Amino acid sequence: MAYLTQPDFVRYVCSCGQLKPITNLYFCRHCLKIRCGFCICHEVDSHYCANCLENMPSSEARLKKNRCSSCFDCPSCFHTLSTRATFAQTRQDPAAGDAKVENKQAKKMYYLSCFNCRWTSRDVGIPDQPVASGGWPERPNPFSARINQLLDYYKAIAQQEKQEKLDRERKKFAIRGKYITLTDKTGLTGAMARNIAGLPSSESSSSAIANFVPSVASAEVEELPEDYHLREINLKQVTTMAQRLASPEWQPASVARLHPVARPLSVKRSQRCRACDHNLTKPEYNPGSIKFKIELLAFYHMPEVKIISHESVKPGQQSALLLKVSNPTSHEMALRLLPPDHQAETETDETTETHEKNEPKSIEKSLEKSLNLEKDTTWSKVIERKPQMPALSQICIPEVTLTLAQRDDAAEYDDDPQHDTSDIILWRKSNKLALRLKVSTDPSAEVGQPAQVALSLQYSYRNTVPPSAQSAQHRDHTLTTTVLLDLGTVCE
Amino acid sequence: MAQNIKILPGATVCEDCTLEGDITIGGGTVVHPRVTIIAEGGPIIIAEYCIIEEYSTIIHKKSDKQENPPKPLFIGAHNVFEVGCKLESPFGHIGESNVFECKSYVGVDVKIGSGCVIGAACQLTVPQSLPDNTVIWGSEHHNREALEKQPSQLLQLDFLSKVMPNYHRLRKPNLHKRQPSRPSQEGAKV
Amino acid sequence: MELQDTYYNKSEYVETASGNKVSRQTVLCGSQNIVLHGKVIVQSDAIIRGDLANVKTGRFCIISKGSVIRPPFKKFSKGVAFFPLQMGDHVFVGENTVVNAAVVGSYVYIGKNVVIGRRCVLKDCCMIEDNSVLPAETVVPSFARYSGNPARLITTLPEAMPDLMTEFTKSYYQHFLPTTVN
Repeated sequence: MAYLTQPDFVRYVCSCGQLKPITNLYFCRHCLKIRCGFCICHEVDSHYCANCLENMPSSEARLKKNRCSSCFDCPSCFHTLSTRATFAQTRQDPAAGDAKVENKQAKKMYYLSCFNCRWTSRDVGIPDQPVASGGWPERPNPFSARINQLLDYYKAIAQQEKQEKLDRERKKFAIRGKYITLTDKTGLTGAMARNIAGLPSSESSSSAIANFVPSVASAEVEELPEDYHLREINLKQVTTMAQRLASPEWQPASVARLHPVARPLSVKRSQRCRACDHNLTKPEYNPGSIKFKIELLAFYHMPEVKIISHESVKPGQQSALLLKVSNPTSHEMALRLLPPDHQAETETDETTETHEKNEPKSIEKSLEKSLNLEKDTTWSKVIERKPQMPALSQICIPEVTLTLAQRDDAAEYDDDPQHDTSDIILWRKSNKLALRLKVSTDPSAEVGQPAQVALSLQYSYRNTVPPSAQSAQHRDHTLTTTVLLDLGTVCE
Repeated sequence: MAQNIKILPGATVCEDCTLEGDITIGGGTVVHPRVTIIAEGGPIIIAEYCIIEEYSTIIHKKSDKQENPPKPLFIGAHNVFEVGCKLESPFGHIGESNVFECKSYVGVDVKIGSGCVIGAACQLTVPQSLPDNTVIWGSEHHNREALEKQPSQLLQLDFLSKVMPNYHRLRKPNLHKRQPSRPSQEGAKV
Repeated sequence: MELQDTYYNKSEYVETASGNKVSRQTVLCGSQNIVLHGKVIVQSDAIIRGDLANVKTGRFCIISKGSVIRPPFKKFSKGVAFFPLQMGDHVFVGENTVVNAAVVGSYVYIGKNVVIGRRCVLKDCCMIEDNSVLPAETVVPSFARYSGNPARLITTLPEAMPDLMTEFTKSYYQHFLPTTVN
């Protein structure tokens, strides 16, 4: 929890060089590498409305412009509108005519109301509706014809380009035919694949291109009314910029023209390793569910380092640092602390990684190219960066290998911490270990500078992926990760 | 400070609240537990059918330029003071059917009309006067004019005045017609 | 950083058989309608309005000082009804926060000085930052982090949120210790 309410005191180095807290990192079991949101592929799994928690198929979502059909946001403050029912006002007012009462009671009417700013659909004269959800009048977009024209035009161009590309590909690659089944695996929508497989006739697209008339800018602007600058303004009647931009089609200038805005949909997304195309996270389909079908988080696979406390860092002096290391896996972990620059040499899985990178590409490549979503294999080089490692402070690395017991959920019930303490082990509780370390700081460190110290952890990791037939991978690995600890600022 | 608390019949006032000074609580008004009402600068008159929720504070502040005898702080009927709101007005008048949402703050020299909503956590500190049906909301204190007055809370008051006596020790009405007192035992703690 | 021990005065708190630690300086109205499902901490000056409707919390909830847990009401054609307020497991409610929600899921973090409007629904795994105001009838989806007045979605939460909240509330409970009287 501290991860959410406090600054990130401990940051891990992702394989792409980003520094992130462990909660924002993923661990690819297939590449045995740390991944972060920056270097993985995000995919839309399903669309849903965060207010009514209704799923919407992606085709329908596209049709509805990614907005919910039953929920609305307030045009005035953007809070979600609630549907209120009005009843015949007979109880307080028995004097009203009988016929009128009958009539009113038979019909329950609904209107929309905002509980934040008290805006109601009656404010702008939208008539009350006889049904609770849906049925709200839709305003036609004044520019819908032009927008459709533009859409058709760009679709035609896209189609044309795709066709050209496909033709080119066809010449290059002989292997064909298998790709429709493979598309499912790449997570691209079926619609896209269908688009490519059943290419529409090229005549229709060319006609859309031919008939298109580009817009022409005009120098003539409508004159402002005479009294424009003299009229007294009631600021309560004028909409704000945010209110206008919330409905770009109409951009109402007066509050009397604010209409409810259909609520934008949210998405469930899954995340995929870019190097091996395996899923890192995949949520359950149900919008209300918080469970995941696949959840390869660094938090569950790597030793977690937390700072218990530390002495203030002073130039030219040693200060104590207490760390807590815990093992979230269900296997015993051997742990060694290393200086941070040690990392490059201990990269044991380099070969397997490159191997994996090269092999499954050949078929997929043609597929991806044909899908016009050419995978850029240079991505890793583009986004990779070398994190700046602090040099002024260093941790005095003890030359020991520590063992961390596996995670045991029942351990919290037996309350006898093992007293296997030593110079550096402060205490040990089931899968957790408190370490007493020393940080030495260079005398040249300036007071007031941020005090940071880096540390590499070499840990044993047992891969629990069921070994596949073709690759006889060994299960035990020695992996290394580097963490950056934030120890406040250098003090006097 | 002279203690002079007048509770009109039909009012539901919990015992677990701080009332100091010259205070009049109108009939039908419900005062929840842990409410603080302090009339140090002059009397406070709360009209009928108000709801004053937990941790709300109403203070008639002492000020130097006070008239003599001090003007009372009059709070109109059907006002709702939600949890944790604070009103520090010596200004004399609060209209009817206003809603002071949770943790709102209304400082001195703020005049409030009728049918206004002071949004949750909104702070009104500058001297100003709110016209009727003003709605203030959000951290930027946006304001707009509502179409109609805030709906009355009579139904809620009905419910509260029926249920609260079963669970809370109440202060007895001490003015005008005698009302059968209904002290009750607060349930044992969990 | 590790959570530090919080000490309380032993005479101030009542510990029940199921491990609830409830301060004597709280206002638990209608306590027969309040169910605390075990290992729940209710700190001083908190108010739980069980008189209005049932209030149920799950296990390992923390209700901090000065917070108000209040079932919301809804108007119907024939009067007003107060809805029961349900809270899941591992929920943290910060200091001076007002909760008028209908449902608070599990693994929810509500900061301090927050106002949760009437009949809000907080789904599992969400977080409301300090000093936020959630207007009435807001639905906060899972893994959303809301902030501001009125509160809006600002970012998403890590997938490990259930574990983070479990660890947080459990260690809060373990670190909530009576002062040793010598």
